[in-house]
Amino acid sequence: MKLRDKLKYLSNRALAAGTIISALLTLFACILILLANKEQVPWWCAGLLTAVAVLFPVTCWFWLVRPYFRCEQMMNRFLEGYLFSEKDDMELLNLTPATRQQMQMVDQILRSPQYMDLNKRQAQYLALQNQINPHFLYNTLESIRGEAIIAGLDGVADMTEALARFFRYTITKVENLVSVEEELDNCETYFGIQKYRFGDRLKLHIQYDVEEYERIMNCRIPKLTLQPILENSIIHGIELKIEGGNLYIRFQCTGDRLIIRISDDGVGMDEMTLARLNQKLGKSTKTIHDEEEKQGGIALVNVNNRIHLLFGDEYGMHVYSVAGEGTDVEITIPILNDDRQIKNRSVFA
Amino acid sequence: MRNEILRMERVTYIEDEVVKLKDFNLQIYQGEVMGLLTVTSHGKSSVLKILARNLPLYDGYVYYGGEKVNTWKDSRRTANRLSIIQEKSSLADNLNIADNIFVLRPGFRQWVIHSRILNRQLEPFFKDIGLDIPTDKEVAELSAFERIVVEILRAVIMGYRLIVLDEVGALVSNHELEKLHAIIRHYADKGFSFLYVCSHLEEIVSICDRCALFSNGRILKVMGLEEMQHDPPVTYMSEYNDMVRFHAKKREADHEEKEILFQWDGYGESHADSFHFQVHKGECIAVQILDAGAMEEMRQILTGDLLPEKGQIRLRGKKSRICGNQGIAVVQERATKTMIFPELDYMNNLCICLAEKVPSIWHDHRLRNSIFREYASVLGEEVFYMPVENLSEKQKYQLVYTRILLQKPEILFCIQPFMGADLVHRMYIWSMLEKFLDKGISVVILSLNLSDSLAMADRLLILDKGGRGGELQREEFSGIMPPLPWSHSYPAIRKQPEGNR
Repeated sequence: MKLRDKLKYLSNRALAAGTIISALLTLFACILILLANKEQVPWWCAGLLTAVAVLFPVTCWFWLVRPYFRCEQMMNRFLEGYLFSEKDDMELLNLTPATRQQMQMVDQILRSPQYMDLNKRQAQYLALQNQINPHFLYNTLESIRGEAIIAGLDGVADMTEALARFFRYTITKVENLVSVEEELDNCETYFGIQKYRFGDRLKLHIQYDVEEYERIMNCRIPKLTLQPILENSIIHGIELKIEGGNLYIRFQCTGDRLIIRISDDGVGMDEMTLARLNQKLGKSTKTIHDEEEKQGGIALVNVNNRIHLLFGDEYGMHVYSVAGEGTDVEITIPILNDDRQIKNRSVFA
Repeated sequence: MRNEILRMERVTYIEDEVVKLKDFNLQIYQGEVMGLLTVTSHGKSSVLKILARNLPLYDGYVYYGGEKVNTWKDSRRTANRLSIIQEKSSLADNLNIADNIFVLRPGFRQWVIHSRILNRQLEPFFKDIGLDIPTDKEVAELSAFERIVVEILRAVIMGYRLIVLDEVGALVSNHELEKLHAIIRHYADKGFSFLYVCSHLEEIVSICDRCALFSNGRILKVMGLEEMQHDPPVTYMSEYNDMVRFHAKKREADHEEKEILFQWDGYGESHADSFHFQVHKGECIAVQILDAGAMEEMRQILTGDLLPEKGQIRLRGKKSRICGNQGIAVVQERATKTMIFPELDYMNNLCICLAEKVPSIWHDHRLRNSIFREYASVLGEEVFYMPVENLSEKQKYQLVYTRILLQKPEILFCIQPFMGADLVHRMYIWSMLEKFLDKGISVVILSLNLSDSLAMADRLLILDKGGRGGELQREEFSGIMPPLPWSHSYPAIRKQPEGNR
């Protein structure tokens, strides 16, 4: 940007004025020191101006420039699509009362129960890909199951039962958080349905430290966290491989975090696609409006968004992949056993 | 439950408007040796810088020892209590080991230094890891291996929970590397964590519990030990593997006996004077020097810093010298740093080796224009107008190796050519060395450890302090102890898999 364009902005004008004043003060201080040295002005006068020349830029730096830069950084990040992770972040946005109010309002909209609800609905939609009347669906599935048992078609009966169980979990359990055990049950149900399609080409492995079983299974996680990723791994990873593949769900606990890694040994993705996907996951606010989203990865972004909204942007999802070597999706969630421990409970409607 | 020592969460780091790290994620647990396998070195130094000192991040969080030490919101530029061990020593050379470990410690507040007490305090640590060097030995006299171990010990005694080892495998011999790995494992079992940065998968597999594949400032994949051993992500280096396979086939097909081109007959002062070897025309020899002192003397002789009076070298049977001989070229270690002259422009850097053969090269514009026309299509036209310091690492390698190509030597000595190079650069170095061999130029690769150079070689010479540790032909390479890249490609390993020595 040219100097003339830069000086269009008040902030740059203030910065330029401050720099000029500091430079002039330093110059005067040097002149006064020289004059004091020749005993033409008293030393206290030179000392006073020197102190002002030193204190002025230091004070300006800590009191004005640094907070301003921080504020500018926040604004830039927001424009790039990063959401403010904590309430304290708003404290940095004290450019003018109006700017702060404006940003608070935008943030409130993004953190509102409506936004969360939108993400939830999106998740349900992604799982079902349709708006289906649940009661009609259960009844129909039960009828099919009954007919299948009468006809001695146990396979069809089991499949129908699994499908009904999956739909029931997806549609009817409306609470926001579920235990890992419940989510894992749903994954196994979903996997069971997929098994009918893939047969022995698809294998699911669940791994955890036996000593930590209780702790892991009682952890609270957002509903429909694992299944969409599992589905993604099957569709984009394993399905494209002729010989089939393996899916792994690994759980690991640290002092305060639960790390869930969902891996496949499918086709993987190239470095650029991976970089784009991880970039999307880092930014929270661009998910709904971006045209790019139509290209894929909505399920992952959706799960990641809900984690960010509930637990803050220190937690979330990261994808690792090498073309031809499979993909790992790592989810990091705080270890919570009670819904009341959630940081941002206001997103619950 | 595992204790997390380091967590870098979605770190994006920008330096001079260049994105060095992008969505970088890394976790290291207590008592773990974590590998960082560098496919490209872009961003590697930034990881180390952020670890050492919490530099301002564009995005992300860094946790060390369970505490949030750096975030995009607030970077305090404070130093983390961890140790980074690199090629460049962080010890004070003029002090002894005990002083380096105890006296330079931030908490050391004694007015009088009791050397005997310090030495006595250090001895159990030495005994613990089976290190047999005097505790009062000056650091300047230590070999690279000893220096690395002392730096590890210092970190352990200071109570640092994370020790980063950056490309240390290239600094020590295979035997020393084994010992170093045993020491790392010993301390890992005691709860210390290590980040082992290396560009060789085989080396990482031999020591690490997990490994992160690093490329262009991003982590592409994190692998457990089992995956590293049984299902390594080979696709990232499939191009290099193909190059190696193609080279191996080409060399195996060439059985023609060539005349002796070069002889080294005890040319040295205190170490290399016991070395005797011959090089045939168009042959590639890997020379593994097991003694660090001998390696240093060979380096000095080849770069002209040392002119020995004992022994001789012969080129085509005639007594010769290395410096100023157009028939002999030398590529020094870390060539992009040691063989680029910043005060000269690109063209002069390129033509510098022609000066003896064509003295008019400095002012013969026709000749220079002809070189420009010939090489602009290969090297790129723009590089001729760039200051050499601004060249990328790849362009610097291109400059060094094209300079040698212009010189048209009969034999090329390379001192640890692959040292410090990432996969992309290693591939380039490999292709250039192959080009030299195709032109009938003999290549002698001197190194402490074998890694890439072995796969290129037709013959391996092992030189120890006494002069000769052994000579192996290509068919016998499979008998060398792992970690060894492309060990599966050596024919004998398929015939006798238990042939490890």
